[in-house]
Amino acid sequence: MGSIVLVVRLVLADVRRHRAQAAMLLLAVTVATATMALGLSLSGASDALYEQTRAATAGPDLVALSGDTGPAVTSALASLADDPEVVAHHGPYRIVYAGLTTRESTASPVVVHGFAEKPGAVNRPLVTSGQWVRSGGTVLERGFATALGVGVGDRVTIAGRAYPVVGIAVTAATSIYPWASQIGPGGGPSDYTGLAWMTRSDARRLASSQDLPVTLAMDLRLRDPAATEAFIDAHHLSAARANFHSWQFRAQQDLVILRNSQPILVVGSWLLSFLAITGVAALAAGRAVEQTRRAGLLKAVGAAPGLIAAVLLTEYLALALAGDALGLVIARLTVPVIASPTASRIGDVAGPGGATVITTTVLAVAVAVLSTLRPTLRAMRTATVTALSATAHQPRHRPWLTALSALLPTPLLLGLRLTARRPGRAVLQACSTATTVIAIVALLTLHAQPVRGYGLNGSSVLPNLMVEHGRQVMLAVTILLIALAVVNTLTFTWTTAIEARANMAIARTLGATPGQIAAGLSTAQLLPSLPGAVLGIPLGVGLLSLFAARNAVEAPFPWLLGAALATLLATMALTALPARLAARRPVAQTLSAEAA
Amino acid sequence: MNVVRDVVRVRGLVKHHGQGQSRVRAVDDVDLEVPEGQTLAVTGPSGCGKSTLLHLLGGLERPTDGEIWLAGRRVDTLSERALARLRRRSVGFVFQAFHLMDELSAAENVELPALLAGRSRREARRRASLLLDRVGLAGRARHLPSQLSGGQRQRIAIARALANDPLVVLADEPTGNLDTAATREVLRIFEDLRGAGHTLVIVTHDERVAATADRLISMRDGMFVDDTRLAGSHPRGLGGLIGLEG
Repeated sequence: MGSIVLVVRLVLADVRRHRAQAAMLLLAVTVATATMALGLSLSGASDALYEQTRAATAGPDLVALSGDTGPAVTSALASLADDPEVVAHHGPYRIVYAGLTTRESTASPVVVHGFAEKPGAVNRPLVTSGQWVRSGGTVLERGFATALGVGVGDRVTIAGRAYPVVGIAVTAATSIYPWASQIGPGGGPSDYTGLAWMTRSDARRLASSQDLPVTLAMDLRLRDPAATEAFIDAHHLSAARANFHSWQFRAQQDLVILRNSQPILVVGSWLLSFLAITGVAALAAGRAVEQTRRAGLLKAVGAAPGLIAAVLLTEYLALALAGDALGLVIARLTVPVIASPTASRIGDVAGPGGATVITTTVLAVAVAVLSTLRPTLRAMRTATVTALSATAHQPRHRPWLTALSALLPTPLLLGLRLTARRPGRAVLQACSTATTVIAIVALLTLHAQPVRGYGLNGSSVLPNLMVEHGRQVMLAVTILLIALAVVNTLTFTWTTAIEARANMAIARTLGATPGQIAAGLSTAQLLPSLPGAVLGIPLGVGLLSLFAARNAVEAPFPWLLGAALATLLATMALTALPARLAARRPVAQTLSAEAA
Repeated sequence: MNVVRDVVRVRGLVKHHGQGQSRVRAVDDVDLEVPEGQTLAVTGPSGCGKSTLLHLLGGLERPTDGEIWLAGRRVDTLSERALARLRRRSVGFVFQAFHLMDELSAAENVELPALLAGRSRREARRRASLLLDRVGLAGRARHLPSQLSGGQRQRIAIARALANDPLVVLADEPTGNLDTAATREVLRIFEDLRGAGHTLVIVTHDERVAATADRLISMRDGMFVDDTRLAGSHPRGLGGLIGLEG
C-alpha cells in the first residue's frame, strides 16, 4: 500500500512539473481513441438505429417486390400471406415512380407508396410531424423532406400535380434516403430516390394520369424473423418476377451511406495513433536523461526495480488511460451525428461496445508503452552511480556529413549537423510529415472525385450525402492529424533546441548570430520533413487505392505537389517561433549551466 | 614611432544580476584599457565578477551601464547580429569547461569558426591544420574530444579561438579543469601567443597563471582593487617561472 501511495505521489508531482507534456499526451491519446472508437462504433450504431426504427414502425421482415403489374401478379403476391410462416402482412400496394419538385424548384426522383388512411399491422410509418396521409395530401419520408428542406404545410409537385405536405414520417420498410426505390421500374435497382406516401386512390390516380411506371409490393411479418433466407428460397413466384428484400438486407443497406466514412475513421485513427506515438516518444526521449537520474536516485534510496518501473511507466499509462476514457466519451457524444447522416432513422445510439472499449484501451496502452519503454528500460538498466550523473546520449561522429555540411551556408550547416545528432528523431519528424501529407492527399483525392448529386438526373441541387459525409469526416480527421503534427513539430523543435543548447551557445561564442541559430534549428526540422513530404504523396495515393472505387479519379498532380510544398512551408513557419525563442537564450548563462 | 593602440577600452562598466533585494553588482563601475599585444590576467575569489567581466567584453552579456570599445569601435550598443559578427572576426573564447562539440573531431571543431565566418571549407581546413600543428596536436586531428585528455581538449579550444585570427583572446579559467602537466602545456601555448603579439585577457584564480601575464588586475566585489604591470619580469619564461620546466 505504501508503495502505491509513493508511486501516486511521485507521478502526481511529475505531472504537475510537466503539465504541457501531460496535456500533449492526453490530447494525442484522446484524439486517436475517439476517432478509433467512432470508426468501430459506426456499424453498431447504424444497426441500432435501424432496429429502433423497425420496432417503432412495425417494420416488415420481408418485402416482396415485383416490377410486373396486373391481377395475376397481385394475386401471386397476395398468396404469400397464406403461407403458414407469415403471421401478418400489408399490401399488396402500389409503388409509383415519379418526379417531385418543390416550390424552390428542387427536383428529385420519388417513389410514392399507396397506403391506406388507417395503417395496418405491418409497415406502419411513424409520423414524426403533421399527420398521416389523407386524400389529396402527401406524407414525405423524413430523410427526404430534410434534404429537400420541406416541412408540413409546404406544397410539392409530383408528376405535375400539386400536393400539400400533410406529414413527415419514417419507416423501416425501405432503405434510408436516397435509396427508397428498392427496385426500378424494370426490376433492376434504381438509386437516389426519395419516398412519399399517398392514399391508395391518390397513388392509383397519379400512376394512371401520366402512365407512370408502377411496381407492386407486399410486406410480410414472419413467424421466425431470422428465417428470411429460408422463406425466400422456398418461394419462387410463378406468376411474377419478384424480388424479396429482408430486414437484414435493409440494415446492411443503411451502412452504404457510411461506406466512405468508416475506413476514413479507422485508418485515420491508426495514423493519429502513429502521430501520438511519435510525439510522445520524442517527449520521452527528451526526458530520458532526467528519467535516468530519477531512476538512479530511487535506486540509491533502495527502491526495487519493480517500483522504479512503476514510477516511470505509471505516469504515461495513467495519462493514456485518461485520454482513452475521454476519447470514448467524445465518441459516445458524436457517434449519433456521424452514424446517421440522413434523418431517415429514429432512436438513440448506445455507447461504444465492449470490443471497442477493449480495442481503444489496447491502443492507448500501446501508445504509452511503445513511446516510453525504451527510455524506461535504459533508465532501469543503468548502474546507480552512472544514472545519478547521467548526461545526454553522446551523438555519433559522422565525418562525411560534417564534411558535406561544411560546404553549406551557416543555417544549413547548423541544421544538417543538428539533424545528424539525433537521426531517430529525424526519422520521426519525416514520418510525422509523411502522415500529414497522406491525410491531405486523401482529402484532395476525395474532392477530386466527380460527384453525382441526388437531384433529378444527378443534379447537385440535392447534395450527395454519402460523398459529403465522407468529405466532412475526412476533413475532420485531416484537421486532427494536422493538429497533432503541429504539436509534434513544435515538440521536436523544442526538444532539439533544449538538447543542442550547449552546442548552439558555443556556436554563438564563435560568431553565429541568433538568426543563424534559429534558422539552423528550423532547418533541422525541415530537412527530414522534405523526404517525408515527398514520400507522403505516393504513400497517400497507395493507401487510398486500397479503399477507392475502381473508377476513382486521382487528384491532379499539381494539387498534390502544392500540398507537399504547403506542408513544408507550414513546418518552416511553425518551427520559427520555438527556434527563435531557443536562439535568444543568454549564452553565458547556458554555458555556465552546462559547465556546472 | 609605433603607437600602441588599445584593443579593449572600458568606461564605467556596470553589470547587475537580479533585482530588488536580491540584486548583485557583479561588475561595479570598472574602467579598463588593454593595449594591443598585452596579456592581462584578472584574478580574484569566486563570484568577484571576473567571468562576468569577460562575458561583457566578448558581448555574451549586456552591461547594465557603461561603455565597451573594441579596436576603437563601441560594442555595447550593437545589435545581437552585429555582436555575433564582432565575435566571429575579433574575439576568440577559451572556456574552463572547453565547450567543444562532442560529435565533431578536433579538426572539425577548429574549422567551425572559419566556416561560420564564411570561409571556404578548404581554407578552413588549411587554417585548422596550421593551428593544430601550432598547439602540438596535428596528430590528433581526427580524434573526437572524448578521445582526448583535458589538456589536449583545452589546446583544441585554444586553436579554435585562434581560427579567425582574432584581435583578442578571452580565456575564462583556462586551466581550471586541468592537472599540472596539462596546465604546463596550455601555459606554453599562451606564452607562444604572447610572444606572437596576441592580445590576451585571462580570467583565473590560479596565481601561477596570473603570474605569467604582462599585467595583473585583482577584482573583489565587482571592482578592481589592484592593477600591477608585470611585463619583462619573467626572463626564464612562463614555464620556468612557475617551476614546471625540466
